[in-house]
Amino acid sequence: MITQAVEEYLEAIYKMSLEDDRVIAARLAERMNVSPPTVADMLKRLAENGLASSSRTEGVKLTKKGLEAAETLVRRHRLWERFLTDVLGLNWDEVHEEACRLEHAMSPQVEERLAEILGHPDSCPHGHPIPGTRGARRREKEARPLSKLCVGEEGVIERVAEEEPKLLQYLASLGLLPNAPIRIKEIAPFKGPMLVQVAGAQYALGQEVASKIMVRSK
Amino acid sequence: MSLSCHSALSKFSQSTDFTIALAGNPNVGKSSVFNSLTGMGVDTANYPGKTVEVNMATTKMDDLTIGIIDLPGTYALGAVSEDQWVARQAVLDGSPDVVAMVVDATNLTRNLYMVLQFLELGYPLVIALNVLDVARREGRHIDLARLSERLGVPVIPTVANRGEGLDELVIAAVEIARSQQKPQPQDLTYGRDIESLIEQLTTAIADRNLDDPYNLPHRALALLLLEDDAEFIQLTQVMPGWQPVLEMAAGLRSQIAEEHGQSAHTRIAAERHALAALIVDDVETREEGAELGWGERFWRWTTAPLTGVPILIAVLSLIFILMFFAGNNLADLMSNFWGDYISPTAKDAFYAVFGENTVTLSLTWAIDGFEAALTVGIPFVLVFYVLLAFMEDTGYLNSVAFLTDSLMHKFGLHGRAAIPIVAGAGCNVPAIIGTRVLTTMRERVIAGTLIVLVPCSARSAVIFGAVAFYAGWKPALAIYAIIGVLWVVVGLALNKLMPGESTGLVMEMFPFRRPHLKTIAKKTWYRFKAFVFMAVPILIGGSILLGFLFQTGYLFDLANLLEPVVTGWMGLPAVAGLALIMAILRKELALQLLVTLAIVMGAGEAVKDNLHVIMNDSQLFIYALVTAIYIPCAATIAVLARELGWRRSLSIMAFTVVLAVLMGGLINQLFQATGWY
Repeated sequence: MITQAVEEYLEAIYKMSLEDDRVIAARLAERMNVSPPTVADMLKRLAENGLASSSRTEGVKLTKKGLEAAETLVRRHRLWERFLTDVLGLNWDEVHEEACRLEHAMSPQVEERLAEILGHPDSCPHGHPIPGTRGARRREKEARPLSKLCVGEEGVIERVAEEEPKLLQYLASLGLLPNAPIRIKEIAPFKGPMLVQVAGAQYALGQEVASKIMVRSK
Repeated sequence: MSLSCHSALSKFSQSTDFTIALAGNPNVGKSSVFNSLTGMGVDTANYPGKTVEVNMATTKMDDLTIGIIDLPGTYALGAVSEDQWVARQAVLDGSPDVVAMVVDATNLTRNLYMVLQFLELGYPLVIALNVLDVARREGRHIDLARLSERLGVPVIPTVANRGEGLDELVIAAVEIARSQQKPQPQDLTYGRDIESLIEQLTTAIADRNLDDPYNLPHRALALLLLEDDAEFIQLTQVMPGWQPVLEMAAGLRSQIAEEHGQSAHTRIAAERHALAALIVDDVETREEGAELGWGERFWRWTTAPLTGVPILIAVLSLIFILMFFAGNNLADLMSNFWGDYISPTAKDAFYAVFGENTVTLSLTWAIDGFEAALTVGIPFVLVFYVLLAFMEDTGYLNSVAFLTDSLMHKFGLHGRAAIPIVAGAGCNVPAIIGTRVLTTMRERVIAGTLIVLVPCSARSAVIFGAVAFYAGWKPALAIYAIIGVLWVVVGLALNKLMPGESTGLVMEMFPFRRPHLKTIAKKTWYRFKAFVFMAVPILIGGSILLGFLFQTGYLFDLANLLEPVVTGWMGLPAVAGLALIMAILRKELALQLLVTLAIVMGAGEAVKDNLHVIMNDSQLFIYALVTAIYIPCAATIAVLARELGWRRSLSIMAFTVVLAVLMGGLINQLFQATGWY
């Protein structure tokens, strides 16, 4: 039986494995905001259910069954987000939490109908690919505009749009360069600027500047 | 005093024993260094068409006069933004004996970027490593000796806002200037492939023995060309013999782009950042930082929307209250004092000496002009400048800009315009000088126009006195509503119609810092000085002119000329037209003048107690609305002209007159047609 708690762990491990090749249990504890022993208990439970394995050298890894379960969850989460923005008209920056609650109480049948009603979208409102659609795994690792990231998300700058060489050069002098890690600390209300941390300093970037910076997952 | 930059800089460096160019990133404490080292006499110079200024001042050491050129704070030297261009150009033109660069110890990597650029340009260099105390608190330990060794230049620890280490900085700078010792850095080289390309180009330049525009090292020129520096490519293009070198540089640039998959400029910037990071790894050790200080914690509250927006509203309200009520009361107090004691005495003395005739009567209007300057200057301008400098220096202005950016963006402005616009409700004059925080002329023109349309406290006094008092609060509110709608429409329209685009916001954000009182005081003083020198002569001159028109009676001829517009179109009595002309001097006089003029023109003393004798409610409504919209007062015109130039200032004036007449007339026609009022 997969409980909601197990589902949340699967989702977290899935996302961390996209950001990093090796998922470390201690990081997982930080991300879930629990103590390391709690994570150890949970990892044991995941192993018993054949959902994940963990070892010192490999870190935490999802099994095939675990990966499928995680992808289903992420798919449901992102479908809900689409529904909340496209059908209910919520803002894309407020749907994440709602979708977190909705994703757990959903049958495959409802999931199927939801996808149909939405016209089988291939990405969530934030630009993340929806698992189960074409090339989702490949796209998951691809770059998306910085402006689509949410508060707390991290990434690495892939490139800055070249059509405005002056902006590109100016950002380069600040250290907003390809391969620089970048983190969203705050987003001002009404699609205002983003407060980002990059190269040891913090900058406010207007939305149109942020939309020209392409970022991939860590 | 504003001087043409190129000649001003070279003259300046010739008039001193040594010249130090003070460079650094924004917000690193550079202005604290400059203000601590120099006295009150500061000259500013402008490059034509640029809004960023260069400051120059002198300091004494022993019996040497040392000139300090304060470059604009920038993250790099280059041609991509106005501040970077001005900083580089001022160094090239001023040819300082030594460059002193203020470096923020809490973010050494980014700061070293520009240090490396200076080293490449081959200038003698001294580094002031600032806020070392904060860096230590954050758990950063910097090996000063090792840093100095790597860069090959002296590194002086400073705490600029307490004045620590500044004497040592000047001594080290003078020593370098005396010996003309070039920096001797240790293996500051980029990746091997890039280096080999730089070398090819350097050799090509050296072999041809070419004249170069500023006598820079060959390697520096090679780097500039590889970086696709528009300015230097343009400069060298017209010089003999450079063509093959430029072609070679273009070839090497595309080679880099092909090999690295990014433009040559980006690649070299990346190399420079990587080198800076390598140096930092070598000289800095880090341990877990201490917990957040008060500055950082409170700063986070001001940027998080949930707490930041209420704080913002509170601060803006406070500014409004200070400017509107406190400023207004202070102005009234001063005005009464002036009117009761100074003005009569001064006038009597003047008449006693020169006699009472048209000329002397006109001249005494200057006394009223001076009063206008005084009552705008001290309560509003000075109070606002202190507030503004405080917000700039602590860093709160950036939080405001962050939160209000998306709103301001709709009008083609960005967040930094929010504070001046709110201050405009107190007094337009300081608000307009406050628009200097905006970087492009387009933004300044839009902000200037919008501020002029914000009813200042003087105009609000007219709205209260003429409309709220006689016709009730609803019509008074309607005037604000009409102006509000106009304001939004004008803002949106300007953003659409003005050529150019609003620039995207890229602004460094930093936790609050303890403000440096001397810097605040000096900033306030410089801005206040600008107001005094620009506004006071115009106010006094304007008063004398108006006085002359009044005393000679030409003013009444002017009124006849305007009658079709004032009476025919807007439905106001002719005396209102006169009062409107006179009120250009001071808007709060629009009511008193109306009463005085009405009596002069024979309306009888009853006007004093009841304006209804000359105007009905709907006329008062139109009169107040027109007063609120048409030409800002003389002081505002003066500062607008200083900030934007006379041509732009006159256009804004003309625009407001047309808008006011149009609105006044339309509303009059509406009243007539509908029979309201």
